[in-house]
Amino acid sequence: MIDYFERLSRDVRVKEGLKACMNCGICTAICPAAEFFPYNPKEICNILQTKDNKKIEALLKNETIWYCGQCMSCKARCPRENVPGMLISALRKLSQETGLFVESSKGRQQYAISKTIAESILKSGYCVHAENVKPELHPEQGTVWNWYYNNLEEIADRLGANYKKHGPGSLRLIGKKNLDEINAIFEVTGGKKFLETIHSYSTKKAQEMNLEIDDSLNSPYFIKTYTEDSDQ
Amino acid sequence: MEKIIYTDIAVIGAGPTGIVAAYNLARLGYKVSLFEKEESLGGNILKTYKLFPNFQSSNELLQLFGEMIVVNNLSLQTGVTVTNIRKDNNHWISTTNKGETIVSKAVLMATGFKPFDAHYKEEYGYGIYNGVITSLEFEKMLKCGEIYGSNGITPEKIAILNCVGSRDAKVGNNYCSRVCCINAVKFGIEIKEILPKAEVYCFYMDLRMTGQFYEELYRKSQQEYGVNYIRGKISEASQTADNRIQLKAEDTLLRLPIKMTVDLLILMIGIEASESTKELSAQTGIMGEYGFAKSHSLLKADNHTIHPGLFIAGTCKRPFTYPETVADARAAVVEIQHYLENKT
Ligand code: SF4
Ligand code: SF4
Ligand code: SF4
Repeated sequence: MIDYFERLSRDVRVKEGLKACMNCGICTAICPAAEFFPYNPKEICNILQTKDNKKIEALLKNETIWYCGQCMSCKARCPRENVPGMLISALRKLSQETGLFVESSKGRQQYAISKTIAESILKSGYCVHAENVKPELHPEQGTVWNWYYNNLEEIADRLGANYKKHGPGSLRLIGKKNLDEINAIFEVTGGKKFLETIHSYSTKKAQEMNLEIDDSLNSPYFIKTYTEDSDQ
Repeated sequence: MEKIIYTDIAVIGAGPTGIVAAYNLARLGYKVSLFEKEESLGGNILKTYKLFPNFQSSNELLQLFGEMIVVNNLSLQTGVTVTNIRKDNNHWISTTNKGETIVSKAVLMATGFKPFDAHYKEEYGYGIYNGVITSLEFEKMLKCGEIYGSNGITPEKIAILNCVGSRDAKVGNNYCSRVCCINAVKFGIEIKEILPKAEVYCFYMDLRMTGQFYEELYRKSQQEYGVNYIRGKISEASQTADNRIQLKAEDTLLRLPIKMTVDLLILMIGIEASESTKELSAQTGIMGEYGFAKSHSLLKADNHTIHPGLFIAGTCKRPFTYPETVADARAAVVEIQHYLENKT
């Protein structure tokens, strides 16, 4: 078995964020995620404190680590200077690197996020672009969104945006030079490689689940990861 | 005109430690000058109503102190602050804010503690919401025999929060204050005696029932008085529309976040080094951790400092309970006697 704890303890977020938890419960009491999800930040400290790789592996495969909203309220309050939120981001990173994220439905959403937000930045310069908020994937937007979506250009124009055109203004076209720069940043910082890792583990999982996967935002695996458990 | 007082021992601080030490040194025949910065003697005991674990009245104790200080050889000055101490050959020179100089063979620092300032834990709303009070303010309520909550009326639900300003890296105090757990248990019983119908919840992380009869009192508070204990520290308090106090905590034994609305929140504030303790320790180079005065050797010479003739006792060293601080005062008396008779 991989020595998960050893790998985690090299992460600066674990060095900074795991001191010694005395189980006071302050972080859980203040945590917005704990209020809504089966999630307890204190337990994250507890599990890491045991240094038990079996337990850590279970955590990396579990839904638990994907609920935290990274608000860092726990950082502001912990009387022992632990930061469960930072431990979560280290665990997520390790789950992504080891491919264990595909074992949970929340973890599998890494694929959906990489295909939408990450690729959207690289292609358009916008992390969230109205074009990608497809009505069939976003029932929470209501029926009116369908109309907006089909008339985006006209509506943007009426709202004073410079939709997909050169020059200043919101929703303007981002020029090639700037896009090349963004892509170069992703290249040298390891972002591209990171996305490849997510895609390659996801492709394997798609095959295992007998779901087709391709480069588009329409493949059955993409739809599955995008919508799975979204009402929970 | 400058006034010079010659004495055997200058004792700084007339709380329990200073009084017990001064009294016993005087009874051994030494000339003792005792200084108290406040107008009344008794130190922090003055702010309390009854003491744990036997509910002895603080007034009785203060009366006893009053009787002790009339012993021969002891002179007490209140309303006088010792601002400086230094060594001069074989003597110690202390100066006061009243322009006096005290020349003594030895000095005993009994400068005690100060209560933690609850304003620093802003998340509990102390000084912001009505109905959030400190343990010392609750002692005052007990003294007056009247408990009231955020709406100025008799509370139905009361929360007690342990470890406020103690065991908390966020305020720089990693240590345990030692007295507040048992004091919280005492409060639970006192509330139930005055308000039998009130619900009382004590939020704790660990209940440190270390002294004689503490555990028994804890048990009694549950079994006979129905005080509830919840293992979890409150993370924040806020005000509700009807002027009550809403608390957020985790019941760590059930592993569930909880919200509770109460009429009164009592913060069990911890013990910190007093200003005089910090000031005089800094001047003489004996300041230890957290501003407390540091003894020469915890196991061998706990009333000595690195300076021969400068002694320390009581809560200027670290948090102590009442019996402990008095025992430490008596121990200091023996050490000072040995020193003055050249036995050490
Ligand atoms: S950072 Fe995460 S764990 Fe910490 S309080 Fe926010 S949501 Fe909870
Ligand atoms: S606030 Fe800190 S010490 Fe308390 S349970 Fe959370 S991590 Fe542990
Ligand atoms: S005595 Fe109890 S309440 Fe006081 S600091 Fe120690 S553990 Fe906390």
